[in-house]
Amino acid sequence: MSKTFDRYAGIAFLLIGVLFVIESQKISESAYGSNVGPSIFPTCLGVLLILLSIRLIYETFKYKTQETEKGSMQYKKFIIIFVAAILYALLLEKIGYVITTFAFLMISFQTMERGKWISSIVISLAFSLGIYYLFSVVLGGALPGFPQF
Amino acid sequence: MSTLQFLIDGFSIAAQWHNLLFAFVGVLIGTAVGVLPGIGPMSGVALLIPVTATLTSGMPTSAAAASSIILLAGVYYGAMYGGSPTSILLNTPGESSSVVTTLDGYQMAQQGRAGAALAISAIGSFVAGIIALIGLVLLAEPLSNVALKFGPAEYFSLMLLGLAAVSGLAGKSITKALIMTVFGLMLGTIGIDAVSGIARFTYDMPVLYGGLEFLTIAVGLFALGEVFKTIFEKDDEDGKIAKINRILPTKQDMKDSTAPILRGSILGFFIGVLPGAGATLASFFSYISEKKINKNGSKFGTGRIEGVAAPESANNAASGGAMIPLLTLGIPGSGTTAILMGALIMYNIQPGPLLFDEHPDIAWGLIASMFIGNLMLLILNMPLVKVFAKIIDTPKKYLLPIIIAISFFGVYAVQYTTFDLFLLLGCGLAGYFLVKNDFPVAPLVLALVLGPMIENNMRRALTISNGDFSIFVDRGLSLTFLIVAAAWLIIPLLLKMRGKKVIINEEG
Repeated sequence: MSKTFDRYAGIAFLLIGVLFVIESQKISESAYGSNVGPSIFPTCLGVLLILLSIRLIYETFKYKTQETEKGSMQYKKFIIIFVAAILYALLLEKIGYVITTFAFLMISFQTMERGKWISSIVISLAFSLGIYYLFSVVLGGALPGFPQF
Repeated sequence: MSTLQFLIDGFSIAAQWHNLLFAFVGVLIGTAVGVLPGIGPMSGVALLIPVTATLTSGMPTSAAAASSIILLAGVYYGAMYGGSPTSILLNTPGESSSVVTTLDGYQMAQQGRAGAALAISAIGSFVAGIIALIGLVLLAEPLSNVALKFGPAEYFSLMLLGLAAVSGLAGKSITKALIMTVFGLMLGTIGIDAVSGIARFTYDMPVLYGGLEFLTIAVGLFALGEVFKTIFEKDDEDGKIAKINRILPTKQDMKDSTAPILRGSILGFFIGVLPGAGATLASFFSYISEKKINKNGSKFGTGRIEGVAAPESANNAASGGAMIPLLTLGIPGSGTTAILMGALIMYNIQPGPLLFDEHPDIAWGLIASMFIGNLMLLILNMPLVKVFAKIIDTPKKYLLPIIIAISFFGVYAVQYTTFDLFLLLGCGLAGYFLVKNDFPVAPLVLALVLGPMIENNMRRALTISNGDFSIFVDRGLSLTFLIVAAAWLIIPLLLKMRGKKVIINEEG
């Protein structure tokens, strides 16, 4: 575990807690005849989170930093796949499920390991077309399949 | 109608051909999920919810819910079987619940008795599954009758107990677990308030009015989180798979392991019933206690068959036991059962004491299908164990992107919004970093599922008492639950302060 992460996480959760308390005060009181309005539960949660994050931040000062073992982190691979996933999400509705899925799988397969183009193409194609066929055609679900012109 | 009659009805539902197929697919996928390290039962079940939702979309709600819960539960207990082959053959447990199996199982494989170890773990799991089912059948009715008398105050306290139990055991730091719990409860408040109809924390964004979808968050945190972890941190060498010679155990093996299987099953079952303590703890405890009780206990760790039989039975029995609080009280005791509960709620079926009255087909159909599923697993696992062990060779380069693609498809097919896809990716990233830094994510998901129910019951109770908070401590049962909840959090803390090592439940 990393001390810095814990500390930042503690601060982040503290801020979330404070924001939550402030924002729950803005929830309008209900007309429903009860003095237990919709803001009580969130306010309690906010206060609890504030207390717990203070406790966490306090704890980070107590324990010693442990050596974090650095494995071979593969940032590059991860970032490529993650960006591809974001594009996948962005474009899914615009150019359809089949093309985006195929492209996403191709990019990811090749990022994970270069080469073996044929098996990559076959698996990507089979997956994207197979899912689309099963879901849209056989089961009658709604999935934007292809770009609409 | 008597319990027996209900059980027979349950069997007639579970024996419908499509439900048989669902159970079969469930246990098959569950076994695969169990074999593959990196995908746990939680992500497996979460990933399959959208798939089952699609498959059952044409059926009436009640039947659809029964079928999909049959499949999903199959994945859950199937994973308990699947965890053992890799522990025994490769010394790498596929599940955290099979960690102790490696101690004797791998030794047995080294001695050329891998087949016997695998067979005994399959038989043990089967016996345990049946014992857990008998317990479930016996306890379900009485427990749900008790639960029917609960008022909102009791429910509120009982749910707090569930959360406390899971948080108390969920990780190295209770503070972190509690933060995750509270954060999950907070996420649960987003959307239209069910009691007053007022929008909370939505900031006029239409996608938020329905609240954050539990499915998206669960798939993101568990499945994507694990995938990201595997992409990030390159796995090293793959071990050599030990040879399997003879599959059937000898008579001596059977004789040695009968008692451990029975003891492991019963112990595992009761640990499973406890909220917060799941299959991992069950297998751990049963190994330790078997080591003490058994006359060969001192030889444990050198490849004793008893050391495989006891924990493997226990983890399976625990997964059956964990169904009890879910079905009878409507309170999931672990991450995986929380996801199962989320699946039921998606079908507008509320698990709990009324489930047995309102939807006996679902409750008893599930119970009966677990019996059939266990039988299928036994039949499948004995001859096919070699095939299953090969699943571990599935190249990661294909598996990981396909898991991402399946989760994208699943979330989109259920939600139809791009917003959920981004939420999914965000949760995946968050899941990876949180787990890496010992923030357990299971309490978050549990809290997200229970949050709205906790709030509703709290407000109902407070409305009854005119805003007087003492209603929670005035009622005896409610007070008891609260005390147990507090104890669950405080005792591990005290033990830690005294320098004792507390066993934690990593399965969630």
